[in-house]
Amino acid sequence: MANVELQNLTKVWDQVTAVDNINLEIRDGEFLAVLGPSGCGKSTTLFMLAGVYLPSGGDILFDGARVNDVEARSRNVGIVFQSYALYPNMNVLQNIMFPLRFQETRDAAGQAREMAELVQVGELLERRPSQLSGGQQQRVALARALVKQPNLLLLDEPLSNLDATLRLTMRAEIRRITRELAVTTILVTHDQLEATTMADRVVCMNVGRIEQTGTAEDLYLRPDTLFVAGFIGSPPINLIRLQSRQRAVLDVPDAAETVGIRPEMLRSAETGLPVTVATVEPMGRETLVTADSNLGPLRFLEATSRPKWSAGDRLHVSFQPQDTIVFDGAGQRVPDLHAAIG
Amino acid sequence: MAVAKTQADWELLARRSRRDRRIKHGLLIAFLTLVTIPVIVPFFWVFVISISARTGGVESDVLWRACAILVPAVFAYGVAHTAFRSVRQRIYAAVILVLLAVVGLAITVGDDLHLYNYRFMVNPNLVEELRGAATAGGQFPWVWVAFVNSLIVAATSMALKVTVATLAGYYLSRFAFRGRSQFLQGLLILEVFHPWMLTIPIFLVIFWIGLLNTLAGPILVLTAIDLPFFIFIMKGFFDAVPWDIEMSAMTDGASRRQAFRMVVLPQVRGGIIAIAVLGFIKGWEEYVFVTALRTGNSYWVMSTYLYYVAEDVMGVDYGVVAAVSVIYIIPSLALYLFCQKFLTQLTLGGVKG
Repeated sequence: MANVELQNLTKVWDQVTAVDNINLEIRDGEFLAVLGPSGCGKSTTLFMLAGVYLPSGGDILFDGARVNDVEARSRNVGIVFQSYALYPNMNVLQNIMFPLRFQETRDAAGQAREMAELVQVGELLERRPSQLSGGQQQRVALARALVKQPNLLLLDEPLSNLDATLRLTMRAEIRRITRELAVTTILVTHDQLEATTMADRVVCMNVGRIEQTGTAEDLYLRPDTLFVAGFIGSPPINLIRLQSRQRAVLDVPDAAETVGIRPEMLRSAETGLPVTVATVEPMGRETLVTADSNLGPLRFLEATSRPKWSAGDRLHVSFQPQDTIVFDGAGQRVPDLHAAIG
Repeated sequence: MAVAKTQADWELLARRSRRDRRIKHGLLIAFLTLVTIPVIVPFFWVFVISISARTGGVESDVLWRACAILVPAVFAYGVAHTAFRSVRQRIYAAVILVLLAVVGLAITVGDDLHLYNYRFMVNPNLVEELRGAATAGGQFPWVWVAFVNSLIVAATSMALKVTVATLAGYYLSRFAFRGRSQFLQGLLILEVFHPWMLTIPIFLVIFWIGLLNTLAGPILVLTAIDLPFFIFIMKGFFDAVPWDIEMSAMTDGASRRQAFRMVVLPQVRGGIIAIAVLGFIKGWEEYVFVTALRTGNSYWVMSTYLYYVAEDVMGVDYGVVAAVSVIYIIPSLALYLFCQKFLTQLTLGGVKG
C-alpha cells in the first residue's frame, strides 16, 4: 500500500509524445480511474508505473522515493491486463501462485487458495485458463495480481472483454475486493461508466495530457474543458458554437465561445426555444429526441418510454441558466457564467 | 394431395443424397488407396526382400505372392469400411481380414521368410565373412559403430539447431534493432541457394579449421544449413505469444530470463519439437556432407555404411542391403510417427510468422 506520485512524467516514442508532462498524486488506498479515448496515453502511463516502460522524462515516486530505475519485478506492482495474460501452461492455482515463486513465502499454496476464495474461483483451481469463461479468467487474473499484496494494483481495461451483464457484476466485485484489501488501485479505461461508478477520483486524459482530475460529479457537472464535457456523458452533451445566429437567440457573456448543455437539462415546455423534431429514439426508460433549432441540432431526453412526438413536430424547449456550461475561446470553462434564452 | 407429394419427394431426395454420399465416399477411399500404393510399395518391397532374399539375386517372387494376399485384403477392408456404418462392425471386419491375411501369408510365403540377412547386426565382421579377410583392409566397421556415429551427428546438430534457432527466433521476434528486417530477408534469401553449391568452399573452410575427418565437420555444416529456416519458424512461433504474458510475468517478479523460461518457452513447445524432429532426421539421413568432409574411411555413419554395402563390387547381396535399409529407416519413422501432431502444427506456426 503506497502513496504514488507522478512528477512531469513524459514518454516519447520516436518523436510521438504519448504522455506529456503529467503531474498526479494517488493517495494511499485510493481507487483512481484514468479515463480517456484510445491513444490518449493512459495505458502508457500505466506501464510506466509498472516499470515495463521507462519514462523519457519526469519522475515516479512510491512513498516519496524515486522508482524510475527500479525494475518491474522489484516494484511490487500487480497488473490485470485487458487480455488477462494468464499463463496457458499453468492451471489456476499455479497461475495465482506464480508471483509468490519469486518471494520468500511460507505457505504459498495456502495464500493462493485464500486469494482464490476471495475472488470466488476456489472450485476451479485445477483448471487450465483455456477452460475458464471470460469472467472466471478475469477473477483469476485479479487474484494473481493481488496475491503478493502489491503496493499498487493496476487494472488495464479489465472489463472490456466481458459481456454487459458480467461487466456490471465484476465492477462491483472489483470494488468490493479492492476495498477489502485497501489496496491503492489505478484503473485505466475508456468507459466513462466504469470510471465514474468504481473510482473515488477520475483523471480524464487526452492526447497525452491530463484534462481534468476530480470526482465523477466534478467531471460531469463542472467539466474544465470542452474535451471533458464532450467525452463524458451519454447521450453526449449539446455543444453550441456561438456564431452570430446563436448569439441572437441566447443571452451569453461576450467571453463565451461555446455553450454546453446536457440533454437531460433540456425539456419540452410551453414557451422557450422553438424546435422541429428530427428523430425520436426510444431508449427504454427515456426517449432521446433530436431536433433542429436556431442553435443547430439539439439532443434532449424526455422521461417517458412512450414518445409523444414524431419527426416533423414543432415544439418548444427550455432550460435553467444555471445548467449551462460556458467555455471560452481556448476551450476552458468560464466558472460562474451561464447562458439563458435571450 | 400436395402434402403427400412433398413428403414423397423428401424421402426420395434423402435416399438419393445418402446414395450419392456413399458413392463419393467410396470413390474417395479408392482414389486415396490407389495413390498410396506407389508410396508404400517400395518400403514394403524393401522390407519383404530383407526377410526373404537368399544370398545373391533379388526375389520379387515373394513380394508378388504377398501382394496377392495383401492388396485384396486392403481393398476388402475398404469395401467393408464403406458398407458398415458402425465402428463395431468395422472392427470385426478388420480383425477377420487381418486373420485371413496372416493365414494367407503363412501359406503362400511363410516358408521363405528368415532373418539371416540381419546377421550384420550381431556379426561385427560382415565383410570378412563375405569375402575373406584381405579385401576390406579391416576398415569396414560393425554397423553399431556407424549407428552410434549417425546418432551423434543427428543429436548434436539437432541440439545446436534447436538452441540457436530458439534464442535467435526469440530475439528477432521481441527486440527492435537496426537491420532486423534485412536480417529476416537475408534468412529467406539463404534458402534460395542449395547448400550443395557450396560443397567446395565448405570443404576448404572445414579443412582450414582442422575439422576434416571429424564428426564435428558435418555437425557444424548441417547446423548452419538448417538454421536460417528454423530461425524463421521459431520467430513465427514467438510472434504468436502475446507480449502481455511476458510483461505480466515480469511484473509478477520474474526476471526477463525467468519469464522466457517459465512462461514463453512452454508456449512454443510445439515449434521446438517440430524443428527438433526435422533437424534430427536431416542429420540422420545426411549423405552428401558426411561423404564430402572425409578423406578415406576416417568415420562411418549409417548412410556411408549403407552405400558401402550396396556398392560392393564383388556382387551385391540385396538381402543385406534391404536389411540395413530397414534398420536405417526405423528411427526416422518412429520419430515421425510420435511427433506427427507437432509437425502438422509447423505449417500453422510458420504461416503466422
